[in-house]
Amino acid sequence: MSVHVSADGAVGTLTLDAPPLNLLSDALRAALLDALADFRARRLRAVILTGRGRAFCAGADLRDEAKLTAEQVQAFLDADEAVFGALAEFPGATIAAVHGYAYGGGFELALACDIRVAGRAARFAGVGVKLGLTVSTARLARLAGEGVALDLLLTGRAVDADEALALGLVSAVADDVQAEARRVADVVASRAPLSVQANKVGLRHCARLPLAEAVTYERGEWARLQRTRDHREAVKAFFAKRAPEFTGE
Amino acid sequence: MGDNAHTRWWTDGPVGTIVLDNPPMNVLSDENRRGIREALAEFRDAGARAVVLTGAGERAFCGGADLKEEEELTAETVGKFLKAGDETFRALREYDRPIVAAVNGWAMGGGLVLALWCDVRVGSTRAKLGAVGVKVGLMASNVQLSRLLFESRARDLLLTGRTVEAEEAHRLGLLSSVVAPEALMGEATAWARDIAARPPDLVAALKRAVNTALDPIAAPSRR
Amino acid sequence: MEIVEVAGIRVALVAGACVGPDFERALEVDLRIAGDGARFSTAGVADPVACGVRLARLLGEARAKELILAGRAIDAPGALRLGLVTRVVPESALGDTARALTEQLRALPPLALAAVRDAVRAVRDLTPEAALGREHAHFRRLIATQDHKAAVAAFFERRETAFTGK
Repeated sequence: MSVHVSADGAVGTLTLDAPPLNLLSDALRAALLDALADFRARRLRAVILTGRGRAFCAGADLRDEAKLTAEQVQAFLDADEAVFGALAEFPGATIAAVHGYAYGGGFELALACDIRVAGRAARFAGVGVKLGLTVSTARLARLAGEGVALDLLLTGRAVDADEALALGLVSAVADDVQAEARRVADVVASRAPLSVQANKVGLRHCARLPLAEAVTYERGEWARLQRTRDHREAVKAFFAKRAPEFTGE
Repeated sequence: MGDNAHTRWWTDGPVGTIVLDNPPMNVLSDENRRGIREALAEFRDAGARAVVLTGAGERAFCGGADLKEEEELTAETVGKFLKAGDETFRALREYDRPIVAAVNGWAMGGGLVLALWCDVRVGSTRAKLGAVGVKVGLMASNVQLSRLLFESRARDLLLTGRTVEAEEAHRLGLLSSVVAPEALMGEATAWARDIAARPPDLVAALKRAVNTALDPIAAPSRR
Repeated sequence: MEIVEVAGIRVALVAGACVGPDFERALEVDLRIAGDGARFSTAGVADPVACGVRLARLLGEARAKELILAGRAIDAPGALRLGLVTRVVPESALGDTARALTEQLRALPPLALAAVRDAVRAVRDLTPEAALGREHAHFRRLIATQDHKAAVAAFFERRETAFTGK
């Protein structure tokens, strides 16, 4: 078994379990894609991605990578992108709970999630350059800025949890990273699902637009959401001083 | 110098000040939206070189939209409601002198949007910021946060809708400084005076340049 | 401030004041490391508007405006908070840090260093999809290089290797 899949209420959990380092393999990618499709069909509102053992994920298996022919390289990249894309397009939030090594493709996997929380022993490194490759440049520069991306990706150096927090790579550092990830997942799961999804889509879409067009798009989304049942429920709940019950309608 | 039912404004030397005063939470009223626009127009005529925007009291900077007003919107009136908000936000963004938000308490929903359209934000230790769109089934401050911060921090705040307290807001870059509540107006005015002391044309050009610096400039991939 | 260049990568080592032309030069390099006594200010830069644009791209809009509108000076911890530098070390350790970093860069495959630099610096001019396309184009080219093969062989044999730039 390479991925343990479980769901509790509206929160799904994917646990990489391919000892010793949870390397990305075809089997593991396929299991992640299947589970995300299943979570999506079950309308789960948040997904936690984590790993067993000492690694979150240490990236691709270099033995697989060494066998690639020139024609197969893009397909190899696309196989990873399919997983990253499924995380990006998941309607709810995806949360990486990083307790150990997140190196190379494993670092990228964490970056492909919406939110990252780190345990005290977490270590992040974009090691592609050490192998003579370019990895994580596009995602990291958008997520944490050009300065941070150049520092980490030109040196391949590892950063610990506290530095990851200071550099904006993770949102929180916790002694019990699984509990913290679950707390964040429960928060997102309690929010209006259409709003969560609209924010994810909006961030992707507006990255391509000049400011004025982006603002127009956002206001259009506000007007669309303003007509939803969940928004009316939120207003009713506010005046009744109770918690809203969202249905995603 | 002027006022209306929910807004007061005046100038002191080169610095104009606007106070939103709609207790208890300073929810954004039509008077506020109009007051901000009128104040900025007066400040321009008076030659103000920087502006401070704050909320009255210690509880809220601005609590965002009035849910009662917003609840009553119909398909016909929603466009007008959005337009009134946008005109005020655009006035802040396009005003050619920098605006310092003195975040004295809650800035949530449309109140956060208002603070984020300012150029510099300083906070008191009571400042609390929340992008609460996901809590009320709406979407706001998505475009602003992804440009003001980078996407990692923006995503966290937007998807959780969580409350960010003053110290964390400072670490994240949402507040430029945090001081005791009684020192807040002094701090905001000091920022405004530092800005006002610089050549106004230069400051205007800097504001404009940074506002558009993150627009994507290249055509899509040529693949 | 000293700027060192290794394999086409420029590193600014900031000790003491970094103002005016020094500040502008610091923004153009790839890596910025400060001693704990460093101070930064945009005062006296030759082209403040270009500086503002560059800062927005490096730090995001909020931090760029914080730094450039009031023109206030900031210390080393402040620069780290803003992301203007990515590391702060004791001023007495700046030389050692620089030597370790230049050795580290010199030991890395030069083609990959140039490609990473190019890919990261292009991100803000491109849509996310186009930026990923550029990264992948570099990857497809680099995976066929001798240096990549040497790096993989060295990894499995748990030894160091020297790169040739081929």
